[in-house]
Amino acid sequence: MLKVENITKYYDDFLAVDHLSFEVKPGEIFGLLGVNGAGKTTTFRMIIGLLEPTSGKVTLDGQKIDYSVTDNIGFLTEERSLLTKLTVKEQALYYGVLKGMTKEKILERLDELLEKFGISNYKDKKIKELSKGNQQKIQFITAILNKPKLLILDEPFSGLDPFNVEMFKKQITEMAKEGSMIIFSSHRMEHVELFCKKLVILKNGHDVLSGNLADIKKEYRKKNIMIKGDVDLEKIKKIPGVISVLKNGLEYEVKIDALDRAKDVFKAISKNDITKFSVEEPSLNEIFIAKVGETYE
Amino acid sequence: MSKKLKFLVGESLKRKVKTKWFLVANILILIVILCLFNIDSIIKIFGGDFDENQIIYVNDQSNITYENLKNQNENYTKLLDDSEEVFELKKTTKSSDQIFEDKKNKDAWYLMIISDAQNVIKAKLISNGYINSYDFAQINNIINSAKQSIALSLSNIDPAELAQISASVDIERVVLDETKKGEEESTQMIMSTVFPFIILPFFILSLFLVQMVGAEVNDEKTTRGMEIIISSVSPKVHFFSKVIASNLFVLIQGALLVVFVVLGLISRMLIGGTSITDIPSAAGVDISGMINSILSSDIVNDLIYIIPLVIVLMLITFLAYSLLAGILASMTTNIEDFQQLQTPIMIISLIGYYLAIMAGVFEGSLFIKILAFFPFISAILAPSLLVLGQIGIFEFIIAIAIMVIIVFLLIKFGLKIYKVGILNYSSKNLWKKMFKALRG
Repeated sequence: MLKVENITKYYDDFLAVDHLSFEVKPGEIFGLLGVNGAGKTTTFRMIIGLLEPTSGKVTLDGQKIDYSVTDNIGFLTEERSLLTKLTVKEQALYYGVLKGMTKEKILERLDELLEKFGISNYKDKKIKELSKGNQQKIQFITAILNKPKLLILDEPFSGLDPFNVEMFKKQITEMAKEGSMIIFSSHRMEHVELFCKKLVILKNGHDVLSGNLADIKKEYRKKNIMIKGDVDLEKIKKIPGVISVLKNGLEYEVKIDALDRAKDVFKAISKNDITKFSVEEPSLNEIFIAKVGETYE
Repeated sequence: MSKKLKFLVGESLKRKVKTKWFLVANILILIVILCLFNIDSIIKIFGGDFDENQIIYVNDQSNITYENLKNQNENYTKLLDDSEEVFELKKTTKSSDQIFEDKKNKDAWYLMIISDAQNVIKAKLISNGYINSYDFAQINNIINSAKQSIALSLSNIDPAELAQISASVDIERVVLDETKKGEEESTQMIMSTVFPFIILPFFILSLFLVQMVGAEVNDEKTTRGMEIIISSVSPKVHFFSKVIASNLFVLIQGALLVVFVVLGLISRMLIGGTSITDIPSAAGVDISGMINSILSSDIVNDLIYIIPLVIVLMLITFLAYSLLAGILASMTTNIEDFQQLQTPIMIISLIGYYLAIMAGVFEGSLFIKILAFFPFISAILAPSLLVLGQIGIFEFIIAIAIMVIIVFLLIKFGLKIYKVGILNYSSKNLWKKMFKALRG
């Protein structure tokens, strides 16, 4: 289990991360979210041992993270960390040996992963000759080459088309099922919602929201009502507690400030010709905007 | 050595050696060295000849000078060794135009001597091209000697008295400094000219070394591969892998240069059937004369301790250069920034190189002696001063000790900077960050 206990990081007088705590158990996919500069990279760097926290500690299976355990960690950086002058095979061997693997094992695993991602023919190609999407695949393959116990994925879907995103999702889910702990950061909230059961949202180094995604959504007071049918928009807008009404294709999305308001809305339109009335949880994106005060770009 | 360090050193070395430019550069160096060692044979192939005498057509209109000139030239030739150019005088009555009409005489000189009431004789030397200053000085001496001889004989001086006047003065040399042997005077002067050429490869290799370390660290930084590497091995291991690999590379390159020189010597013996001591003089520089006088002097005995000491100092300096390059590279975010940071260091080394060339000229200069202990310059300057006898072994060992201290300090404090620098991607407040890293 990965345990992040009350870590704080100062750069001179600048507070980058403030008393952050969370746990990731084997098989869990954990979301670490925040806008640029929120403290995600600093947190990742403290987790993999690149940075020493000013206070607090990070342990993996009870052991402090140092170079005796880093062979069990996989890391995919947000910006491509590829040695572009090397071939795919050369880079895999380079990073693989540094992760304590034997050359035979690296080549065996590389062949398996290249096959899985449909890029076996790129094995002897120089990385700089590959497309952006294929470079991202190589970066991902390199990160999971050592079948890490702890996998840190910082924006793994960057530069990928929907088909490849699915491929990545499948692999990440598979690894979680095999018992890997995965920490995940993405600009795409739908991916975070799909993958992560637990998450932390950071703002200026502070933890503004954390816990189980289902609980977070449940506890979030604002709800959305999806209505299909003949609706008097002006009438709904006048109901106390209604924040906004938007037409979304054939449906209307009514945002209310609390679940109790749903019955007032229903009462107002119950005599109309309605084919759908559904109270739904808000999206993670909405919660993020509400908590952080800005969009996750 | 840990397994990962060994692997990183091997990979880094492989990336340097297994490149096309390494192969091409070494083939070119080998070709240049082979050509230099066989330059006389190559010139012969294209029609030139080092052994040819310099023909001088003498039109003696004074009718009294030619025989005297010939005698003086013979005396002068006796003083020369086999490798030096000899003048061959040919009497003629033809005009210079007639002589140079013949294409065979395009390299010949034409000397016209006429009587002169005031100065006994007057001379006019005509040639198609330039005459180098060394050769001109020699022919000038011969003509002047001939003129003096003619003038004395015309003065009706008694032959015994004439012989006395003509005889050269016997000068006894006494050198008070017991450590300096008079007979080594010329050798020291020769070494002051030769040594900078011998240390030129060191200077070039140190430039190479700095560039290599800088480029490799920056390459890993700019591609962000550094994050993955440092998440697997410690900055210390990474730092030392770069330093060890670059120093091994320099040793390999240095060894290759030695092999190329040996191949050059062998090729000279196989092609021309002559050794290094038979290289003819060129542009007034008597190469074989220099080599012979070095080989026959006591300096050969001194080389037994000079060479190992110089090698030790150079190896320590290479180590210091690579450590410094690694530290500077870690502080920069791209190769352009690195070039700017390393320029002052390379300029200091260049100053050292020029001082080494000038050390013979400014003999005894306290300023140059002090600079011989200055880190990074010492590897270039101290050997020159040692060979010239301007510093002794004790001073040289001090220069080595200072470099060892510098290496120790670079490791102790440089590692702290390296640890912070390699994961720093911003040039903002760079120096502040580095000083903070130094304070730990």
